[in-house]
Amino acid sequence: MIPIEYWLVFSSLLFVVGAYGVLTRRNAIVVLMCIEIMLNAANVNLVMFSSYHSALHISVDPSGQAFALFSIAIAAAEVAVGLAIILSVYRRYQTVDVDKINILRW
Amino acid sequence: MRRGDVLKGAFLVLLALLLVLVVTGVDWPDGDMDAISNDDVSRAMLGDEWTSGYSLVVFMIGLLLLVAILGGVFLAKEERE
Repeated sequence: MIPIEYWLVFSSLLFVVGAYGVLTRRNAIVVLMCIEIMLNAANVNLVMFSSYHSALHISVDPSGQAFALFSIAIAAAEVAVGLAIILSVYRRYQTVDVDKINILRW
Repeated sequence: MRRGDVLKGAFLVLLALLLVLVVTGVDWPDGDMDAISNDDVSRAMLGDEWTSGYSLVVFMIGLLLLVAILGGVFLAKEERE
């Protein structure tokens, strides 16, 4: 059995790696992938705390794991729309650089 | 690498250190984390009947996924001249 601290440190580092990619990279597809990494850090936390809660209490409650599956499905929907938007932007502006795509800026 | 990226990296390293320090500073009680089986998750997701568990939520999320994929296809469709 892996102690809970290891999982928490792992998910924290995963989140930080994703945040670094979102903040520093210019390619919109890479930014989307980094957002997915951050989302997966949250999923790891959901599954881990669900197991931990069941371990500490007598009753088995797998709701956290079910929520993680829902979260993965929502992430798939987000990626489908996000990639389509990036594709559409590329066709129009011939770039996926997030610094150059400023049509929504006020 | 730009100077702003280095600053952002330094900030995120500090954030990671803070998170690790907070996590390792807590005295977590011991527990067997292998208590949940696949059957438990399946039962929670789908339940024993149509209205039990998260069956309705699974249905709604499937619908949302379908709509998102249709929206993605519509957005990515090439415009006719």
